[in-house]
Amino acid sequence: MATLPRFTTRYVDWTPWVETVDEVGPTEEQRAIVDEIATSPRGRPYWATLAHDAPALRARHKLFRQSLAGTEDGSPKADLELAAVATSRVNGCVYCASVHARAYEGLTRNRALMRRLLDEGVDTELPGRERALVDFAAKLTRDPAALTGADLAPLRDAGFSDLEILDVAHAAAMFAWANRLLQTLGGQHIEE
Amino acid sequence: MDQTHTQTYTQTPTPETATRTRDVIDAVAGIAPGSAAAALRARRPELTAYAQGTLEALLEPADPGGLSRREREMVALRVAVLTPHPALATFYRDRLRAAGGTGDDVVAIELFPACSALSPREEAILRHVDLLTTAPRDAERTDIDALRAAGLGTPEIVTLSQLIAFLSFQVRVLHAVRLFDEGA
Repeated sequence: MATLPRFTTRYVDWTPWVETVDEVGPTEEQRAIVDEIATSPRGRPYWATLAHDAPALRARHKLFRQSLAGTEDGSPKADLELAAVATSRVNGCVYCASVHARAYEGLTRNRALMRRLLDEGVDTELPGRERALVDFAAKLTRDPAALTGADLAPLRDAGFSDLEILDVAHAAAMFAWANRLLQTLGGQHIEE
Repeated sequence: MDQTHTQTYTQTPTPETATRTRDVIDAVAGIAPGSAAAALRARRPELTAYAQGTLEALLEPADPGGLSRREREMVALRVAVLTPHPALATFYRDRLRAAGGTGDDVVAIELFPACSALSPREEAILRHVDLLTTAPRDAERTDIDALRAAGLGTPEIVTLSQLIAFLSFQVRVLHAVRLFDEGA
């Protein structure tokens, strides 16, 4: 197995194991979608890898953004970021965890909680509300077929509406997707 | 969505469903019109529409390129067997047959790697499905090499990865939405 850096809030770099469209010469459609989505040179290789299937990337990116958007009637964005980190922590995706840990910290200023989650994993001690969210995201990640209606009770008891729970589930499910791309199309490392 | 699917998943609007038609998620999760889950999903039309868009882009592309419709349905069936979701497996079994898959294909996919009626290329694809579905953290560069050795180029490898990862998403959404109709 490839050696991964420890979970961190530092920037993690990602190097594709296949050539990107930038390297082989993009079509007009491919160049357009990468230019639209890649907000930094550092993140560009990932999008320029996925752009080999530009229609799939375009469709997926709409869903990805919506899954993390946060809503007034449902989950606040911080909860969706926490679901993303919990899923990534379970799956072992250091890259996704770092990106969304930074987003969570920016929204909540709760660095202590995020540090514990990254260092110790999803079973670390958490306040009731975060405990319920992380447990649900972890179970959806590990063994979704084992979920039952009873798994909603801790979330409802902690004050989540059903619409918020649906939003959290979508965010966690979206990272089942994202983690697999980052983990299986390239390598993750930190520049020392 | 081709016309057959539209007919299967669209039903006459009633007051409860007048604002949306049943989609794949409703049909496969067994969500009844007017149920709690249906009411919740009706409040998230963007997520529903965009998820449907990804299904169409990955399983029903206008130009399937180097990864055939039949191969795509084989991948989908395998994920539904592995994660597992019996109704989703039935859904993709039917679609695989519609895309030209045989009964032997279905058996070989469900029992993989035990029973092999598959080509070396199909076996390489299914090995990658199993790796990404059950142990993505174990993936290495050499797993990409194995796909190349089986004849897949970079665009096919990227599409295959997106497809497997999409199915990991889809099966989890299906398992989540059914909870709201199960009672606590």
